[in-house]
Amino acid sequence: MTRAEAVALALSLLDDDDIVVAADGAIAREAYRALDRPRTFYMLGSMGQVASIALGLAMSRMERVVALDGDGNLLMGFGGLAMVGGLRPANLHHLVLDNGCYATTGGQPALSGKVDLAAAAAGAGYSWARRCFSPEHARMGMETWLAAPGPALLDLVVDARDPDPAPRIPMSPEQLAARFRIAVAGG
Amino acid sequence: MSASRRLDALRAAGVEFVAGVPCSYLARFFAGCAELPTNDFLPAVREDHALAACAGAWLGGRRVAAAMQNSGLGYCLEVLTSLHLMYRLPLPMLVSDRGADSDYEEHRILGSRVRRLLTLFDIPWRDARAGAEDDDARWLVETSERDGGPAVLLVGKEADS
Repeated sequence: MTRAEAVALALSLLDDDDIVVAADGAIAREAYRALDRPRTFYMLGSMGQVASIALGLAMSRMERVVALDGDGNLLMGFGGLAMVGGLRPANLHHLVLDNGCYATTGGQPALSGKVDLAAAAAGAGYSWARRCFSPEHARMGMETWLAAPGPALLDLVVDARDPDPAPRIPMSPEQLAARFRIAVAGG
Repeated sequence: MSASRRLDALRAAGVEFVAGVPCSYLARFFAGCAELPTNDFLPAVREDHALAACAGAWLGGRRVAAAMQNSGLGYCLEVLTSLHLMYRLPLPMLVSDRGADSDYEEHRILGSRVRRLLTLFDIPWRDARAGAEDDDARWLVETSERDGGPAVLLVGKEADS
């Protein structure tokens, strides 16, 4: 399963009022291409801050907040995992699209192959944390993850190859933020 | 009323969510934050994460503020530039003014350059004044919302938190 396929599958399983934070780089572009929705916040930079942005949202909204994160991204901002585990927002669901490398910058290997991200999340205090290795179980894994008590983290192993790169998002950062805030909070 | 006049002033100016990492200069401010409801205060593990959480809370419809020691500003540059400044997200920041000649050595190199650093990134800043907490807070919130970006109140030892 490619990362883009996993992103599309995750988005297809969400409810209309779910709030999404899509990680900077390829994940945000793939999310935009698969299913653009005003209630998705597309990150363009700030690598390592996916969990922290999602936590600020989860502490401010009643709706479910879904973070679409990358393994290198999560490792860069590992303190965010501690904050989510420590604050324990029940409405935060964290999906790590784990390709074991820095795909956006050319596929350099990341340490995620050697660090058990689900165990780290559980140790930090997440209510539910699992790793899913097999693409045939991805849908069931995601359904279980979305139904689990939050904060819940699914570390989903995906292909490192990137056969069909998604183009850049054709909206300005200011437009993206304003559209999101209006959709979520009315302005 | 909390233990902190500056926290009370920020709340009166509309701030609903605070995230930060403590500084001894801001001890009273953080003591006040600790009494807030769970979803109104995030004791962050590092300053850049505090800022990112503020971005999330603002995007979720709340008025926010961050608080930190000025030594944390280095960590924050990436988030300030590629999140708050780029997406134009308001961010009132309470930053302690460490680094005077009488302060400890570890504060001096960054601390003596903070005003130049903020000016370099066109981030408006003001020195906090003891007794002017309400005016300082209004300036901070109004400036950040007018500009759609960060604004900084530098809180020295004498300015009181």
